[in-house]
Amino acid sequence: MRLINENTRSRVRKVVVYAVYIILLSSLQVSFPEAFGFLGQTADLMFVFVVLAGYFYGFWDGAVVGFISGLVRDVFSPPAVVGLDGEVRVTAFMGVFTLFTVGIIGASFFTRRMHRNIPFSIVAVIFATVCYKTAGYLLIYGWSNLAGAESSLYMPLTFLVYSFLPQLLLNVIAAIPLIFLLKFLGPVSFRNKSRDDEVIAKQGEGTWLGI
Amino acid sequence: MKKLLKSRWFIALIVLLVVAACAILSLLPGSPVKKILKPVQLVSSPAQSVVKRAGDTLSDFWSAITDGIAIRKENEALKAQIADLRYQLTQNEEAALRYEELKDALHIKDMFSNYDIYGASILSRESDEWFSTIRLNAGTTDGIVLEEGNSYPVLDVEMNLVGRVIETSDTESRVLPLLHEGFAVAGKVNVVNGATFMVIGDAELKRHGLCLVKDIDPDVHLEPGMEIVTSGDGGLFPEGIPIGVIESVDYSNSLNVTATLKPYSQIGRLEDVFIMIPYVEAAPDGSDAGQGT
Repeated sequence: MRLINENTRSRVRKVVVYAVYIILLSSLQVSFPEAFGFLGQTADLMFVFVVLAGYFYGFWDGAVVGFISGLVRDVFSPPAVVGLDGEVRVTAFMGVFTLFTVGIIGASFFTRRMHRNIPFSIVAVIFATVCYKTAGYLLIYGWSNLAGAESSLYMPLTFLVYSFLPQLLLNVIAAIPLIFLLKFLGPVSFRNKSRDDEVIAKQGEGTWLGI
Repeated sequence: MKKLLKSRWFIALIVLLVVAACAILSLLPGSPVKKILKPVQLVSSPAQSVVKRAGDTLSDFWSAITDGIAIRKENEALKAQIADLRYQLTQNEEAALRYEELKDALHIKDMFSNYDIYGASILSRESDEWFSTIRLNAGTTDGIVLEEGNSYPVLDVEMNLVGRVIETSDTESRVLPLLHEGFAVAGKVNVVNGATFMVIGDAELKRHGLCLVKDIDPDVHLEPGMEIVTSGDGGLFPEGIPIGVIESVDYSNSLNVTATLKPYSQIGRLEDVFIMIPYVEAAPDGSDAGQGT
């Protein structure tokens, strides 16, 4: 007789695996950013991990992993924003907002049509990075104009060449090992021969609500 | 209605709205919203410290192997330097005695004598270009108590400006680095009655590791290589903290002369820093006399 049933075991595995990856990747990113850097940008390991978790393992995995990774990001390196009064303040929950959204984007990016295949996950990472950098730039542009903080502004071409493209390249490079980690040492055993969509239908989507 | 409440998109939208509201509320002074993150900090900070220590150990081990020959050569050079420094030390001891005598006689104050210096280690750095504050392992329990609207300078081991503390919790502080777009400090050329101006972080210069110098009087002549220190204007930073050297000057617009500055401190390479806190002298009647300057 088994002490824990199959469903409970898969839930425990999922929670443990995600917890380990979230802590490990976020710690690596903020402890040794120069090791993942290029042209002043840093490979966003947490970001890529969240997109891939959503892409491979469904909406709720992306949302929950994004939410928790965002909380950790808000603790480790929250953004400082120039307020309307000119004071610089540390904000909370910007990480949660960003990574939660990104998890959902990853989970919704042609996942069913492409059957969550591995090569297309790179396209999902590219798409999510494009969304993040564009939205971030527009937000900063709008806020800087509002707060009168001109020094926060990039020229669009400079942004494209020195911020957007290096970040895109670094995230794509970071995605390759993370894809293998998620597929072969991930929350679902790679010995499980079911297709990803079937795994999600069986235990993925409802797991988090069950916990 | 029931169908709507069960819709994952509806749930996600509600979560996003709540999170956005929390993010906006967190910008208010003294907002309690940030306390929600405390349990996450209690769990994640020790785990991150373990990962950092493991990484540092591996890095040290690798350096020990690769740098062996270089260390041996450096050791020989250092031995020669020690001998030279010992000689200088004996000379300086005598000079120091004379200085102390003159200091008492002329009532000279040490530049930072009214500041307490607290040591701290960097726990984490920026995670990308927008999530870019630095976390230190010293907080209110270590004496780093920050009032609203106040800030403390952060220096490296060579006493160069690194940034300023903008938030503290029980065990940690957050630092706004010198290169951040929101950073601003009044600076001056490091000479007697040197010209003053503003040194600020700039998004475009940040990727080159430079700051922007603005509000320069057109009549002032700045040159590359000039040392810039804090001027003490504004009251947040004491006068005389080294910031960096002028890299280039742009006189093309006489109404808006700007320059770029290369900071001395290299934040990417720092492990330990110092926080300068003006100490409060107790007044004779027992009340606080105010902060020293």
